[in-house]
Amino acid sequence: MDSLDARLFAAMLREELRLHRSLIGPMGSSLFPAFVFALSSAMAVAAALVFRNLRYATILLMLHAASWLYGCFVGALGHVGEQAMTRRLGQVSMLLQLPQIHPVSLKRTMGLFYLKDALFYLLYSFVPMTAGVALAAPLAGVPLGSVALLGATMFLSFMMGMGLSFLLSALVTRSKSAATVFGLSTLGMISAVWPFGLLEPGQLLLPLGFWWSRDPLPLVAASLVSLVLSTAAVLTIGECFDSAQERHESMFLPTESRLSFTGGMSTLLAKEWLELLRSGALAQVVTGFVGLILGVYAVVWLFEAGVGIPLPFNVVSYSGFVGLVGVMAYSWMTNVENNECLNAMPVGVGRVVEAKVALYLLLTAGASAGYVALIGLARNELGLVPLGILVAEATSVYSVAVTAHLTGLWTNAMFFDARVLARFSAAVVPPLTAIEVASLFMGGGALHAMGAVVAVSLVQLALSLPIFRGMKGKWERRSFSFAATSH
Amino acid sequence: MSVIEAVNVSKRFGEVEAVADVSLEVQAGEFFGLFGPNGAGKTTLLRMLTGQLDPDSGEIRTAGVPHGDPMGIKRAVGIVPEVEAPPTFLTAREYLELSCRIRELDGVPVRVDRWLGFFEMDGMGNVLCRDLSKGQRQKVMLASAFVHEPRVLLLDEPFINLDPIFQRRVREYLRGLVDESRTVFMCTHILEIAERLCTRVAVINRGRIVDQGTIDQMRVADGEGLEEIFMRLVEAG
Repeated sequence: MDSLDARLFAAMLREELRLHRSLIGPMGSSLFPAFVFALSSAMAVAAALVFRNLRYATILLMLHAASWLYGCFVGALGHVGEQAMTRRLGQVSMLLQLPQIHPVSLKRTMGLFYLKDALFYLLYSFVPMTAGVALAAPLAGVPLGSVALLGATMFLSFMMGMGLSFLLSALVTRSKSAATVFGLSTLGMISAVWPFGLLEPGQLLLPLGFWWSRDPLPLVAASLVSLVLSTAAVLTIGECFDSAQERHESMFLPTESRLSFTGGMSTLLAKEWLELLRSGALAQVVTGFVGLILGVYAVVWLFEAGVGIPLPFNVVSYSGFVGLVGVMAYSWMTNVENNECLNAMPVGVGRVVEAKVALYLLLTAGASAGYVALIGLARNELGLVPLGILVAEATSVYSVAVTAHLTGLWTNAMFFDARVLARFSAAVVPPLTAIEVASLFMGGGALHAMGAVVAVSLVQLALSLPIFRGMKGKWERRSFSFAATSH
Repeated sequence: MSVIEAVNVSKRFGEVEAVADVSLEVQAGEFFGLFGPNGAGKTTLLRMLTGQLDPDSGEIRTAGVPHGDPMGIKRAVGIVPEVEAPPTFLTAREYLELSCRIRELDGVPVRVDRWLGFFEMDGMGNVLCRDLSKGQRQKVMLASAFVHEPRVLLLDEPFINLDPIFQRRVREYLRGLVDESRTVFMCTHILEIAERLCTRVAVINRGRIVDQGTIDQMRVADGEGLEEIFMRLVEAG
């Protein structure tokens, strides 16, 4: 790196740290690695004690696949980051915007940004995670050397995922057809592993392959693949800035009129609806259920294969998780727009939070019920669908009430601030656990279990009411402006 | 009759004292200008006067509404904020419609057409605000502040990014408002415009008002213009 690159890289790293602190506060930001450390340590202990039936091969596959997916997520942010941050944070300018006015190329800036992200996630996630697992290593009977190697191979998997999605997102900006071909080819390669079984997972996810061969070659190959993918991504990025104009006939007043049944909320609801529709976040909100349901299927599999105890999961058990997806959907909804212009209008943050929650409920009430019905149909448990719908709707209403109460329009705080996450967990996990446990005892139509599920759902709904009522008061005096950024 | 009143107002951001013990009064029908170097506290003071920010101490009353009722203040006045950031995914027309509906105004289409026409944005009304130029976005922000024709306007750099044609058009519109005994409070760095428009001014430096009055009252030498007054006060402070 020449001195400009080094200085730019250091400045980007500082920017990332300050952005992180601004999003979740200095305390939350400092506690985040500690949280990762504690969580990974606890999970390592739990895995050793609980998942005795799970083979190491399966655990390794899960860890590396999860790291790869994490990398895919971060790499894609590299592409959308600038736009999303500018939109979300208003006038927070990122160093990524330098090439617009300075004689420094976007390729170079993006390359440095990518490296900065890699270092940031290494220090903020992988180092504390590895240290956490190392702490639990004696209990798990794993040598410390293997833990260090595991951290390294997981990070390499992360880098492969990051490089892949970085290249894919860079291709999207140049040629949608090229991106489609690349994306389909990637999917083809993945399908060769699963479901077709033509390749071993370690042949594609190279760092995983190291654990079978103990040969450093897969690690060298993984580093090269990651380097090639990221270099190709940087070379693909163009230096021009798109300036196309998007036009729409005014839909605001007709939309507001259609939503008039919501009374005084219709004005803000119409705004929120149009923003959701045009930003593309609507698809995320509706399809987000699929990811979580697949995740729950994976957890159930983990229990059945890992603990060796078949769980009598039924449609009601899945419905609790369908309701929980509301947290993600609400989060996507709050990330569409920064609303800074509303500071100049007689409308408070509390009213916008209310409107977002109302829109969330309008959008997802039907979707939740639909997903529950589909699961009921797939499992041939149609008799439990009404109860499942009650559970999904009650959990959804309650989870979103707690989310909105704790984070308002700044849901990012929840995902990074350990204190907020702890308060959220304390509020949401107990009723969800009660429902899940009760649902496991519903075989044969056990009335006491069904009664418990109904009671907990009704308690969730009852608790949601005062939370919703207090929402406006809690957030009304907050500014729409992003958190202060002084240091 | 005093329309804007600040008494011993202070605001800190951590170690920084952004506004320190500021008192000022603006009467109905005045065109009041607030000037100061970058970081002097102009925007912080304006945000407190418009109910966007609570003072740490002191009393504020804007358009007869105390600072404890920020929604009341925002209902009563028109505000152009420092940042020209209308909503990304609404069109210019939709944003003005939203402004009207939040303020529960009648005749929304007529008002919106009027202000799009005023800023010669008729052809751009259906473009997403995200895709407008900075000047066009500033026009949309100005239109949003003017659309309810308030008695009091508080404007942060209203002429920024406007071309000379629209600087003149906005200038004449604001002068017309003051002729109707409405009140304009403006922060700006464009001293030539301010000198032509303002009936009274204040200079703020390092969070404190260092002088206020008419330009005539602030002159220490014949022929001293607002720029010289500004430089003298800031360099002395």
